[in-house]
Amino acid sequence: MPPYNNTRTERRKSMAERRPSVSYTPPVIPHLAGLEKPQDHSLKIDQCDVLIMGTGLVESILAAALSWQGLSVLHIDTKSYYGDSSSTLTIEQLKKWCMEVNLGRIPHFQDAQIYIPGGKTTNKFNSKDYGIDLSPKLMFCRSDLLTLLISSRVYKYLEFQSISNFHVFENDDFNKRVTSSTTKEDIFTDKSLSLLTKRYLMKFLKFILQDNSDPDKKKVISDNATTPIKQFLTTRFNLEPPQVNELVYSLGLCIKEDTKTPEALAKIKRFLGSFDVYGNFPVMVSKYGGPGEISQGFCRSAAVAGTTYKLNTTLTDYDPELKTAKFDDGSRVKINEKIIISPTQVPKFLQSGYSEITDNLPVYNITRLITVVRRDCKEWMSDQESSAVVVFPPHSLPTDNIHTVQVIIQNGGSGVCPEGQSIWFSHSTEPDLNRAKTDLEAAYEKMESALLRESSSSDLDDVLDDTDFVVNARGNPVVANSFKLGESLQNFVPKETLDVVCKLGYVQKTYIKPDLSNVFHPDETNQNVVLKNLADAANDIVFSNMPSSEISYDGIISEAKLIYQRITGTDDDFFDVDFEDEDGEEDQSYATVQAHKPSTGAIVVNDDHDMSLDNENAIDDDSDDGHKPFGADEMEL
Amino acid sequence: MSQGNFAQFKLVLLGESAVGKSSIVHRFVKNTFDDMRESTIGAAFLTQSITLPESKTTIKFEIWDTAGQERYKSLAPMYYRNANAALCVYDITSKASLIKAQDWIKELKKQAPEGIVISLVGNKSDLTENREVEEGEVDEYIRQMTEDGSVIITSECSAKTGDGVLDIFNKIGRALPVEEAVGGNRSRQAGRRPGGVDLGRTNRQQTQSSSCC
Repeated sequence: MPPYNNTRTERRKSMAERRPSVSYTPPVIPHLAGLEKPQDHSLKIDQCDVLIMGTGLVESILAAALSWQGLSVLHIDTKSYYGDSSSTLTIEQLKKWCMEVNLGRIPHFQDAQIYIPGGKTTNKFNSKDYGIDLSPKLMFCRSDLLTLLISSRVYKYLEFQSISNFHVFENDDFNKRVTSSTTKEDIFTDKSLSLLTKRYLMKFLKFILQDNSDPDKKKVISDNATTPIKQFLTTRFNLEPPQVNELVYSLGLCIKEDTKTPEALAKIKRFLGSFDVYGNFPVMVSKYGGPGEISQGFCRSAAVAGTTYKLNTTLTDYDPELKTAKFDDGSRVKINEKIIISPTQVPKFLQSGYSEITDNLPVYNITRLITVVRRDCKEWMSDQESSAVVVFPPHSLPTDNIHTVQVIIQNGGSGVCPEGQSIWFSHSTEPDLNRAKTDLEAAYEKMESALLRESSSSDLDDVLDDTDFVVNARGNPVVANSFKLGESLQNFVPKETLDVVCKLGYVQKTYIKPDLSNVFHPDETNQNVVLKNLADAANDIVFSNMPSSEISYDGIISEAKLIYQRITGTDDDFFDVDFEDEDGEEDQSYATVQAHKPSTGAIVVNDDHDMSLDNENAIDDDSDDGHKPFGADEMEL
Repeated sequence: MSQGNFAQFKLVLLGESAVGKSSIVHRFVKNTFDDMRESTIGAAFLTQSITLPESKTTIKFEIWDTAGQERYKSLAPMYYRNANAALCVYDITSKASLIKAQDWIKELKKQAPEGIVISLVGNKSDLTENREVEEGEVDEYIRQMTEDGSVIITSECSAKTGDGVLDIFNKIGRALPVEEAVGGNRSRQAGRRPGGVDLGRTNRQQTQSSSCC
């Protein structure tokens, strides 16, 4: 065991202090919990099989997979919190994070802005009441990550809530297409549609739910491999723009007009196939935060399996001959197999090597605008629910947006902010950053005015006060001051703006393509950083990816498996673990409250509804009736 | 519900490594003691129920082990979230471990929800000849904490012999807001809340289980 090396630590610090950027001290950042008085200063281990740097979602799943397989894992993070680029942060943590981004200390993030209006008296909030995801995501009820969460038992650390409301913005208005009372079939049999349109929609429904091995379907898909989905739906199924928008952007959550037919069809089927798994809703969010919370769950699972955790720790050097890693706490650990490094945590001594690997890879931008408002936005949510999704299809905004703006809205009921407030997580994949920002701002304004309009017209209490009412003899309130209710009410109400707690914007870069093709087919494209070798480190070092722009968790498991395969040579035994049933684990005596009663009149359109949940030990979905992530030409629907 | 009430609570373990946190839990849950056991529990968390005869209430503890994440102060926020009770364990043969346990109590005050029931437990009470921590010292600390408005339950036990282990959980059970949890305020209860989805059951299974009501 190497002694704690004081001189090394001091010298490193003084070098850092010479850098001008370090002279900046944040003024109001309180001491972060966990920073002070670590129990052990240096690592008390001599060796490990795998060192993982960064506690992001993919890395956390990887740590759990490796350690349940019996490998010894050391999992560290340069930050004092879990989650890395997929972390869930408080407002105070975000303030510090923004400053670090702008100082260039968190690579692959840029242009971070945080705006907190008013002062301590006019904008009172408790930072710890907020859990803001850096890369928020939606969980489809039928997805490979969900299957893993269940089989690995990690779901027991989490709470999931349903989302059944999906709004599409078109013609300057919000249309709630999918709600809690919607069944999969309702989407296609809306009463307002003409008989002919319904027939076309049903024809499409029949087509998309057909088995993919069907030769006719296979042919149609391969014939249209490069056809944009809009063209496909219009010419082949005679669908009108409103239906196309709904299918492609609300159900499919596609980001561009020219999304290729196979990818878009897979995404639409992902939505439909996720209905009726747990109820009449296709997606869920995890309470208290998305990827940040799930990362913590997998880290805990990894810890149970023996992974050593140490936050606030940086790799300072690696000797490939002796296979020895040195850390800023002075400790040295022998690495038997590989080192996995998150792109935000690349140590200085590896930066030039990392640049060489990534220099010729295409870069994709994700621009995010996150706003915390003092409104619960119940108007947009289903009863009993705390979240909703709003989608702005291409060309729906005054900015004539080319890329979709997708927004996840969560209120206090989902544990990410206090009651009576909500967080609007919006993002765009528009490559032109100025355009992306104006698109996001425009979407924000549309939502703001729609919310104010809806709440002022539906909630008279906001407009009328007690003196405006008298109660008649039968106890019913009668409006006395009736002139307030003229047609021009909306204009009469003074233009108000939403009360904002905090507004946060930033840009994230990733090498993962928006269609995830270099995750699902890394070999063909040779454009996945995971497969690149750092020659002068004896190929001991593997870099992981930044989070993708994908709004769902699709691709996450594939990424984890890809790294797993690089370490162990195969992903056959990825999470191949049998968990014994614990005594009294299933307790029937306390009831589970469900979001929705399953619909009774549901037509059974295909018979592979059930995930293989009966057997919790069926861990991998190779067999498989679980949803596979979509892939451009994979089409495992 | 005349024949008895039921409430479930989340309990977290804290304390220096090797003070016997897991051993106490194993004694409580499985009534076994293994000298050589690994410092981890291979399950999501363990559960055990007790019944308080005076209120005819069954209390189910959902017990979260640190899984070693406390060693380098790397416990995740998830660990403290919605915790109803905490067991801060020290080893009566190590004065340093008592100081660490007190640090954990400070940490709990920062991280844990308000109203968490804190219990300071001295383990290894069978090793009397090596005792370093006298009960008077603990009493003095508790007196100071009480002045600051904190209520902390204290006890000693031996996970090895089993002495005092059940007593700890009975004391905690009596200090928990059982009435509140039973009386419908589910927010204090470690369980699924309205709007939540139980991933353990698919839609079809849920249909079956809810058909009776």
